[in-house]
Amino acid sequence: MSVKNFESLNTNTDTTTTRTLLHEAIPLTGAIVSGTYGQEASEDNVKNFTHGMFQSVYDYPYLSSSANHIFDITMGYHSTSPFSSSASEQNAKKINMYNEFAQVLLGYTGSANDIEIFESDLDFGDNDNQMKSCYFINFSRLLTKDQIKKGTFNLVLSTGSWAQGITAPSFPSGPNITLTDVSASATAGTNTKGNGGEYGVLYNNDFPNGTGYGLVFYQAGIAIITSSVWDTVAQNPGAANFYRRHADGFVQSISGAFTGSAISASCDALRHRMCNISFNNTTEINSSIYFCRASHNKFNYSTNPSYVSGSKIRVKQIATDNPVTYITTIGLYNSSNELLAVAKLSEPLKKTPENELTLRVRLDY
Amino acid sequence: MAFLDNSGDIILDAVLTDLGRKRMSQGNFKITKYAFGDDEVDYSLYNYNHASGAAYYDLEIMQTPIFEAFASSDAGINYGLSSYSSTDMLYLPTMKMNETTNDQAVQMTGSIVYLAANTETATALKASTALGDSKYFLKSGETDGYSVILETGLDTTDLAATQANRSSYLVSNNLVDSTFTISFDNRFISSVATPTAGSRFTNNSRGDDKVKMTLSAARSVSSKTGKSNTSTAIAKGISNTVYKTAGTSVSDTAVSSFSGPRASATSLNFSVLSGLDTETGGTLSSKFASYGKTSVDTFGDGNTYATITTTITVEGDTTGTTTEIPVTIIARQT
Repeated sequence: MSVKNFESLNTNTDTTTTRTLLHEAIPLTGAIVSGTYGQEASEDNVKNFTHGMFQSVYDYPYLSSSANHIFDITMGYHSTSPFSSSASEQNAKKINMYNEFAQVLLGYTGSANDIEIFESDLDFGDNDNQMKSCYFINFSRLLTKDQIKKGTFNLVLSTGSWAQGITAPSFPSGPNITLTDVSASATAGTNTKGNGGEYGVLYNNDFPNGTGYGLVFYQAGIAIITSSVWDTVAQNPGAANFYRRHADGFVQSISGAFTGSAISASCDALRHRMCNISFNNTTEINSSIYFCRASHNKFNYSTNPSYVSGSKIRVKQIATDNPVTYITTIGLYNSSNELLAVAKLSEPLKKTPENELTLRVRLDY
Repeated sequence: MAFLDNSGDIILDAVLTDLGRKRMSQGNFKITKYAFGDDEVDYSLYNYNHASGAAYYDLEIMQTPIFEAFASSDAGINYGLSSYSSTDMLYLPTMKMNETTNDQAVQMTGSIVYLAANTETATALKASTALGDSKYFLKSGETDGYSVILETGLDTTDLAATQANRSSYLVSNNLVDSTFTISFDNRFISSVATPTAGSRFTNNSRGDDKVKMTLSAARSVSSKTGKSNTSTAIAKGISNTVYKTAGTSVSDTAVSSFSGPRASATSLNFSVLSGLDTETGGTLSSKFASYGKTSVDTFGDGNTYATITTTITVEGDTTGTTTEIPVTIIARQT
């Protein structure tokens, strides 16, 4: 059985397109990132790889089909960083990681096509505020969708000493530092360089009074945190104890984590300093809207078998009664009468020769 | 497939069908037209006798829960709404199977039509006590024997089946189908025989049956229906000019299934798919076991048969009136 009565859509008057930005709030508590599913170095929701280049964090033990990948975390430094040394643990891999992020997100510079260096500001021309040793947090597309909404990124990190009464898997106690892209908005406070899309600066305080400690790349869904967050004694009275290994109580400073630890161990340390992450994501919805019109003299009869008893129309007692139908479904067809989309009304809609209806069907892509 | 929440504002739940997604992947997704449907509605709930008056006649219809949209293009809209310029029509044509006209119309057995898959089976059916006559079954691929004859018209005794009423109630309102679409399961049926232009469905002034439907292979068969395992064929609609004439010795209802004005008619026979027509010496198609029954002594005469029952859907291309014919493909086994 098929439909016999079609109405053509006028492409000028009956169809239009719209673009809508949909935002969701994404809160990630530190307890999910570390502590809930075991203790560091053997947490069930953290996946390390034999190549040792990064670790993946899930919201549930990753061997479960219920687990969702929430972000990857890694670290690295530029070859001119003070941390760069052949004596450093995984020195080449850490440089490679830094360069990979830099070349993809920022591209190259100068006639020699040198890989650009991250800076904790929006101006790459002045080569100041360079961040040569960084942590990188790559958020899953499941969370960021099309992009992180500008001006919503918020990362709370502990800068306190791990030795100050802290036992794993708890977080180090304060003080905490809150990094936000407070200066960024849809219309200002961002820049673009290379192919990484727009980025904003992560400040530790209200802009412009705060200090830049990192960047957030909105479309790429990557946050970059400089190691200097933990360098300043004023912010980090226990700088010597950036990381305290749960298994044996071994402690090291931030510089020790960058030079003397493998990437995975250094990432463990950062995860245990993440108190909270939150941002709003953005989904761009492109919609086609079809205005399906039922004019007064159309669609007043039905081929529904129950419409007649014998051959007599059930909704009429005499010939001069108005015919009545009840619309429940709208079918959208191509020129070959193939049903491409279908829309259902939540309740029947009465159609008679005395009324005209325009039903707005929106298809989202 | 849940119901939609109908407790608040009217909402519209739209989805792409599986065919829509396929066309999108092929880069030829282009919506050019629309139609309305009312599949969930049971119009028999329209209650002219509601104690609270006219505003409540359709109370139960308006409370009908509506299913969520679902992605199968098979079942988006089964029954579309129709547009006719006249608002004062009280009757719409329906379709019926004719089992009355002479030497042409196959008869149902119970509620099904038998389709003999081969000559051996046809011979056995004719010889069986239960059937005993060729008019109780179709023979696969035959164009000069019995056929399924279908009529459209107004199923009412309120209107006499006169030429004038046919003209005013049917022809002038564009309610006469000139073609019919036959949908069939292409796993079992390969083609449909349909009426030639020389066919007629009429009686003469004395009321005599002058029906003569001659069949040939359908003009076209298409498998691009958007529905699983379904092909369609187009059958010509023959003007149904069986009239009621006063004083005749033969009643018009001895020729036609309708009492009211008649619109058109068509006739059909079917060819079973190659492999289903194997006689007893050959290998029985496994489809009989997969989709039907085997080794059944259907008529209690010691012969055993394999059967598959399928449904043929016939739809008037102008009016959208529809009927479904259950057909049992039958092949003798022993």
